[in-house]
Amino acid sequence: MNNMENIIELKDVCFEYYEEDQNKTAILEHFSLNIQKGSFTAVLGHNGSGKSTLAKLLNGLNKPVSGQVLVEGMDTADEKKEMDIRRKVGMVFQNPDNQLVATIVEEDVAFGPENLGLAPDEIRRRVDEALKAVRMYDYREHAPHKLSGGQKQRVAIAGIIAMEPDCIVLDEPTAMLDPRGRAEVMETIHRLNREKGITIVLITHYMDEAASADRVVVMDTGRIVLDGTPKEVFSQVETIKAVGLDVPQPTELVYELKKAGIDLPDGIISTEECVAALTGALREE
Amino acid sequence: MSLVTVKDLSYVYSPDTPFAKTAITDVNLSFEKGEMIGIIGHTGSGKSTLIQHLNGLIKPTSGQVLLDGKDIWAEPKKIREVRFRVGLVFQYPEYQLFADTAYEDIAFGPKNMGLPEEEIDRRVRATARMVGVTDEMLEKSPFDLSGGEKRRVAIAGVMAMEPEVLVLDEPTAGLDPAGRDRILSRIREYREQTGATVLLVSHSMEDTAKIAEKVLVMNEGRVFRFGSVEEVYSQPEELSAIGLNVPQVTRIFVGLRQNGLPVPGGVYTVEQAKDALLPLLRKGGGADA
Repeated sequence: MNNMENIIELKDVCFEYYEEDQNKTAILEHFSLNIQKGSFTAVLGHNGSGKSTLAKLLNGLNKPVSGQVLVEGMDTADEKKEMDIRRKVGMVFQNPDNQLVATIVEEDVAFGPENLGLAPDEIRRRVDEALKAVRMYDYREHAPHKLSGGQKQRVAIAGIIAMEPDCIVLDEPTAMLDPRGRAEVMETIHRLNREKGITIVLITHYMDEAASADRVVVMDTGRIVLDGTPKEVFSQVETIKAVGLDVPQPTELVYELKKAGIDLPDGIISTEECVAALTGALREE
Repeated sequence: MSLVTVKDLSYVYSPDTPFAKTAITDVNLSFEKGEMIGIIGHTGSGKSTLIQHLNGLIKPTSGQVLLDGKDIWAEPKKIREVRFRVGLVFQYPEYQLFADTAYEDIAFGPKNMGLPEEEIDRRVRATARMVGVTDEMLEKSPFDLSGGEKRRVAIAGVMAMEPEVLVLDEPTAGLDPAGRDRILSRIREYREQTGATVLLVSHSMEDTAKIAEKVLVMNEGRVFRFGSVEEVYSQPEELSAIGLNVPQVTRIFVGLRQNGLPVPGGVYTVEQAKDALLPLLRKGGGADA
């Protein structure tokens, strides 16, 4: 892992908000994190843990008070690099209705490339490719407001892809979606990561979504409490519960059974692994 | 007599136009006083249309909604009273906060009921306490509160009308696990203190299993199943078939049965799973020693 190239580096970052009538509130203090190129990182934390603040630091929407955020070596504090950085790192937010601006799907996706001043046939190529990548090409002439939540989020993602970013940061993109919409969005971002090599940073509080990442970072009060593969992180059941989060049900079940003295393997996070482990244990009896 | 009875209810959006769309068809249900009922079904299954009928926000295309045996539309001018008795909390209710302070927001419903000042004050403070809104928060602008706090203020606004039937449409959507558990326990408390009937719409079968006694499953505008949590959750295959997210532990038990292991059905919480598995796992060595 060490020789992998970092796409984003946060070095000793401090960030605080000023609130009316109140003193400043520190959100992140001396926070460091590297995101490797091509990786799929999930950031978990309860509301107020600083994870959305972190998301906005990654493409310069928030600027650190001290410390540095580097995107492919470019400092987000450097105003001349702002457009380049935003093009490299795209953001998708929670509410799909707040992100779509046009009255036709393909016009919405074209909005970013048009602002880049690209030639019309290049815009056409990018829009078509982006809509195909999120499997919304057949809806290119539809009105966004008539789409389902999951479809809207996929159009929002297409709008980012049309900018040809190297990294997409998604801040709870499935929080407002039903189970079907969630599955569509998760399938889409995994495919973009796998097939296009786009680096993904997924901010979420769904444990099952985090379990499908390469790496899970757990935040609490602006600090990293756990950082590792899903298996490593979710085996720390007590730490995770202490910061107000859940572990996936299969992990919790195995944890409870082990606590009761049953011998079962570590690192179980999926339903399938749990069935296999329990089947083995029950057949031995 | 049931507190709420839904009789042969059907509803068509934009009838007699090319856009006519049947949302619910021939729904027959009854809810008793004090019951805690979970409503599940994927988007488009008719859940929201059904609950909006219960307090007269929409009028049936055909069929009836009875409250205490009386058709809520018998006297259309009195529909306002029905809305005081059947409180509806929408999805993302925090987007509907509007007053200068959280206190005024919660007081809005009771004021509309024409209650005396002292009674309004009592209700605002009692419901605020119940949902965990502090006196300090009551004096703040709702917009200065966190997302979870705003949600609780919005729910308190409906609870302060002390409705006999409280209907909540996905009250935990978008909250983190701690916020979700807090809201669910406040709802349980409201039911215990007031004896109200509570209907809870959720996408999460886990949440529903934790809090509800009965479950209504809607599919394609019809009642698919209505029964106790045990009855409904004992058929995970048919729930998966209509696109519902069956709890992971339930799926684990389906997997174990498919592997020919003698595990019980109807398991939907980690607690139950543990209780069901421990005796089986201990049968051989450990426990006998």
